[in-house]
Amino acid sequence: MTKIRVAIIGTGNIGRDLCARLCLDDDFEVMALVGRRPDSPGLIEFEDKVPNLFSGGIEELLASGILVDGVFDATSAADHKLHWSLLQRNNIWAIDLTPSKIGKPFVPELTGKIEGMAIQQKKLSNYSMVTCGGQSSAPLLYAMASNSEGITEVEVSSSIASLSAGPATRRNIDEYIQSTENLIEIITNCRTVKAILVLNPAEPPIMMRTSVHMKVQKFNLEAMINSTQEVASQVQKYVPGYEIAVQPHSPTPGYVTATAKVVGAGYALPEYAGNLDIINAAGVETARQHYKFHAKVNGVNL
Amino acid sequence: MTLLYDVTLRDGNHALRHNLSSNFVSNYCEIADKSGVWAVEVGHGNGLGASSFLVGKSLESDIELLTSARNKLQRTKLAVHAIPGFATIKRDLIPAIDVGVDIFRIATHVTEASVAEKHIEFLANSEKIVHGVLMMSHMIDMSGLITQVKLMKKYGASAVILMDSAGNFIPRDVKERVAAIKNEIEIEIGFHAHNNLGVAVSNASAAISEGAFLIDGASMGLGAGAGNAQLEAIVANEQKEKNTDRGIQTFLEMSRIVENTFPGNLPRTTSSSIESGLAGVFSGYAPQVRQLAEELGLEVSVIWNEIGRRKLVAGQETMIREIAQDLMNL
Repeated sequence: MTKIRVAIIGTGNIGRDLCARLCLDDDFEVMALVGRRPDSPGLIEFEDKVPNLFSGGIEELLASGILVDGVFDATSAADHKLHWSLLQRNNIWAIDLTPSKIGKPFVPELTGKIEGMAIQQKKLSNYSMVTCGGQSSAPLLYAMASNSEGITEVEVSSSIASLSAGPATRRNIDEYIQSTENLIEIITNCRTVKAILVLNPAEPPIMMRTSVHMKVQKFNLEAMINSTQEVASQVQKYVPGYEIAVQPHSPTPGYVTATAKVVGAGYALPEYAGNLDIINAAGVETARQHYKFHAKVNGVNL
Repeated sequence: MTLLYDVTLRDGNHALRHNLSSNFVSNYCEIADKSGVWAVEVGHGNGLGASSFLVGKSLESDIELLTSARNKLQRTKLAVHAIPGFATIKRDLIPAIDVGVDIFRIATHVTEASVAEKHIEFLANSEKIVHGVLMMSHMIDMSGLITQVKLMKKYGASAVILMDSAGNFIPRDVKERVAAIKNEIEIEIGFHAHNNLGVAVSNASAAISEGAFLIDGASMGLGAGAGNAQLEAIVANEQKEKNTDRGIQTFLEMSRIVENTFPGNLPRTTSSSIESGLAGVFSGYAPQVRQLAEELGLEVSVIWNEIGRRKLVAGQETMIREIAQDLMNL
């Protein structure tokens, strides 16, 4: 059986958690972890687990001659632009965990369920994991929208633990909102959309919650509740801590709302970092689907 | 003299469930422009871009409200409140600049100043007056508060406003905080009170006596929960204490137009607002708590205490239902 050979760029919270989870996943072989500083705690942490640790950035990885199928980029939007141009020249696909918006927004459990959400035919592809609010609201958005007619307005509001929002998330809060809103449009086909992010510093830290609010002319609430459960149970296959905290309900006519809660799986991050957990889990799942699709096309058994 | 900053048309919009009309904005601003208040803040209760299912929909858009105010304000500056996470630079701040807003207040929860970095920098670079606002300022210790004020100053805020969003402070708390900041940092400090414990005006006076350069007030106290410090009462108190003359008649005229237009929305310090003030919970949650208590047959105080225990910050309206459901299942 061929393993998926990958490298991880970035040794912050996201990169470390990705590395820990990929090291434990039998489908993957982590060939390298790439940082920018030799004394980066993220690199030192994986000394015994990852064969190649590079502190000279993506350039050092590409110069090393180590072969990888794909790369997970957990750096920043600006860095990812540069990385992607280098990766393309080296024929390496990318899972983008930054809000660069270069890649196609992708939510793994919605593959084939909505138009345009599919594994890309080109092997040299770039997938954007959007945002934590996007990944956690997507199942609700899909379940609610597919049992509705005439959606006129959609809103997604998320609250996350302050401790789980690193410096990049904080600086890029506007980009977070724009990327999330773009995904809401893709899933619901509605053009009047809004995303909101609230950071909560409570101790002990709160678990991530994402609520979807929808203004809709006609809907089937019972079908909505059933399909929410169904799609949530699919997400649970790769995000075990995903659950529906408040079922779809309609407190006023023409308005439906529901809330999901994400408890992190706790690879390299605490349980409260469900926002980071869901985006990483989605990234790993996307890489798996992409690799399998192209292995099949090429007649390789995985 | 301390600058007066009128939040009637912004915080007051909480009390109106965000149903403020450009017609009223226009009528109010016409009087306010003669009053000598430094600025009038206009918009949704949670600021620019906040009209939403989560915190309530505005009757009219930010731009409609701001345009009506702009047309009536000659002497008085036009101001907005904006919370990163709701408002973005591109969608909200730039259009507000274009419509002629003079003062931007970028607000975060008291521990989260760093989410405002880009917004404050952008406005400072655009040569707008930009102030930082720390909301729920009772939810942090003194050294933490000083760190957050320093951050906002570093990003480019020319002043920082402390908001007692939960109405949890008594005058002693306000004095301690304003004095401690002024002692450590060279920056102008403003204060924004809520009347949950019945001391909003006293808190405003306390801030003034410690050297606050700006005080928030609202005509008739129109604001979230138990309301804000009553602007006309601040002026009256100051007049007695310091022999100042701001010309109280215009302030009373502003008070009357609010009183006569919204007789059913005037804030009061009710038992529920005292409970939320003591629990240190965001005043703006009052309508949701009341509605859920009624719907689920729960005591208002039980919900307030649980919200306080879980340390909710502003903008977590959907968690109130979850909390209420958990309380039902106990």
